[in-house]
Amino acid sequence: MALSHDGKNGSPGFLLTRLEDWARESSIWPVTFGLACCAIEMMATGASRFDMARFGSELFRASPRQADLMIVAGRVSQKMAPVLREIYDQMPEPKWVIAMGDCASCSGVFNNYALIQGVDKIVPVDVYVPGCPPTPDALLDSLIKLKERVRTDSRAARHGAQTGPGVGIPHQPS
Amino acid sequence: MTANVETLRSAFASAEIGLPADGIPTIRVPLVELTSAVQRVTRDLGFNRFVDLTAIDRLTSEERFELVYLFYSMQRHTWLRLKTRTDSEAPSITEQIPGANWYEREVWDLFGVRFEGHPELRRIMLPDDWQGHPLRRSEPLGFEPVDFTVTRDVYGGVGSQVSGLGEHA
Amino acid sequence: MTADTRHLIPGTSERSERELLTVNMGPQHPSTHGVLRLELRLDGEVVVHCRPVIGYLHTGIEKTFEAKTYVQGVVLTDRMDYLNPLGNNLAYALSIEKLIGCEIPERATVLRVLLAELTRIASHLMFVGSIALDLGASSPFLYVWREREKILDFFERISGVRMMTSFIRPGGLVRDIEPAIVSDISRFIDEMPAYIDSYEELLTANPIFRERTEGIGGLSADDALALAVTGPTLRASSVDFDVRKSNPYCGYETYDFAIPTGTVGDCYDRYLVRVAEMRESVKICRQALDRLTEGSVRTEDRKVMPPPREELAKSMEAVIHHFKLWTEGIKPPPGEAYVGVESPRGELGFFVVSDGTGRPIRVHERAPSFANLQALPKLTEGGMVADVVACIASLDPILGEVDR
Repeated sequence: MALSHDGKNGSPGFLLTRLEDWARESSIWPVTFGLACCAIEMMATGASRFDMARFGSELFRASPRQADLMIVAGRVSQKMAPVLREIYDQMPEPKWVIAMGDCASCSGVFNNYALIQGVDKIVPVDVYVPGCPPTPDALLDSLIKLKERVRTDSRAARHGAQTGPGVGIPHQPS
Repeated sequence: MTANVETLRSAFASAEIGLPADGIPTIRVPLVELTSAVQRVTRDLGFNRFVDLTAIDRLTSEERFELVYLFYSMQRHTWLRLKTRTDSEAPSITEQIPGANWYEREVWDLFGVRFEGHPELRRIMLPDDWQGHPLRRSEPLGFEPVDFTVTRDVYGGVGSQVSGLGEHA
Repeated sequence: MTADTRHLIPGTSERSERELLTVNMGPQHPSTHGVLRLELRLDGEVVVHCRPVIGYLHTGIEKTFEAKTYVQGVVLTDRMDYLNPLGNNLAYALSIEKLIGCEIPERATVLRVLLAELTRIASHLMFVGSIALDLGASSPFLYVWREREKILDFFERISGVRMMTSFIRPGGLVRDIEPAIVSDISRFIDEMPAYIDSYEELLTANPIFRERTEGIGGLSADDALALAVTGPTLRASSVDFDVRKSNPYCGYETYDFAIPTGTVGDCYDRYLVRVAEMRESVKICRQALDRLTEGSVRTEDRKVMPPPREELAKSMEAVIHHFKLWTEGIKPPPGEAYVGVESPRGELGFFVVSDGTGRPIRVHERAPSFANLQALPKLTEGGMVADVVACIASLDPILGEVDR
């Protein structure tokens, strides 16, 4: 089948799969998920000086159903965690997650009761961006790294096939 | 500033009036006099803007929480602090001062001081099903021990358990 | 018609009164200025009941303060009102300096004013951009970011960080600002009024912008005072109150600037007040730059600010002070202090309670957006659902300081 994932290395599926990868990589549209201070730097990345649009992220989509990428920009509180998971679940496959900033990666300065200690406890993360907040350059760098990953294989089964707890999600003994 | 304190001394004869480092006159009243004190301060003494309400956990066995009310006089451009101590409850001033609504909910949420007469005393910052009142000094900060290799023996590798990384070779 | 088709005829339903529609707005929403959730109950398009639900950004900062020393706490203050980081640093530093009672040199005070006003300009630029974007005008957002980037570049040259500089500390500033940066800021301040004119050209007389903000979200002066509202929102409701004028700090009584007020208290007035405040901030920056003199930017009190590195090689006392500061931190005498400052959102202050040790027992932020947001039901109820966005944008809340 032309679009089959196994159709690499010269068989008929190869070209179309590569086309798919290229198309996905060139137009990654994030969902608006700015939470706190990192959201301001994310807006700076979307503004004219740093301009995420030239890397393909033309628009931020408000609806998760129309987005490929969730940039978790900011600290995730206990109250916000179920909301984040619900937004993530609503995104169609293939989808990716960038944990922007120290708070999304590991709760940063705020190692306390109120925050999820790293957003990878509830969603699988593809790229972590350090910084508090990361400069727009750092966010663009993470976007480029993500694009490289998408370009090589946009159908990596990490997100879609995940049915149990992944890396970073504590396994609850049944 | 001293004239202001004198006016307060005449208005609050039985209460303690102090002047802490920031120069804001501070009146201590017993809990039963709180509502009337707030009325006197806002209506009679002209402190017509409510600024802030918070609590301090003094960790004493009795009257553990110190409620701190801050008012401002738009005419005289001065602040006034009103303090009281309570174990667990206090009268609500939301009927008089609508702006105190969320402040009282916050003190209930984070300290556990119940405000009698509040129209809707629910949690405001934390999820509705949260147990406990975290800003009490008896409650822990709730930090997660970080899995540094030098402290792995101290915490028994708990960080590696949480992150699922497993033992490194 | 038969009995089972009667329900298709309008007006014959058992429910005679109209049912209200409950709509949930947020917390993930492009226009709520952060993670704010609104439970709206609508009668058609009219908002009958609006209930803000906050807490989606509760970070436990006030509890974290108790685990940190006073200087470590400065880092936390940046992240509360994240569009006014230097202003937060300033309010916190002023409270601690009141507790300790230390003298701040003149150069540090003037630079504090300069940095605070630059931050105010940056915050109001963000306001202009976001209110325009929320109402559908996407160009002003990109234009204001051009100027905001220039200000953030200055912060990066001064402190190494674009936003969360933690540059204003109890006892002064972290380090001095080089003359080259000062002259560049001076040139920027001279160019700024022309840029503000260009934003006004895009929005102030724009019929669509006016249609969407004039007469929308009116707040009377009495209601604003009763709801503990402060800042440009209060001033737009024609109450001319500004902490910089009524209770000056950092020498604000010596600067010449006006307090813009509105007349009606609608969204348009709140926009006009903030744009006018930008112009006043430019004036204050100009005066601060003109009066800048040579001097130290740190207090002489060695129990607050560490001695310069060169002194450590020469003086044993300096070494002891350095050691005490790094191991125990600043130890203010037992007591409490609150200093109100004027942030771009209203009266901001840190209530710091000390018991004489190196860590505070309580730090509480009087966040202006927390009180201002209580006014949102008053602004939106009775209006259309499409105006809710304009009302939120005109209040300019920052959820970081609302939830702390």
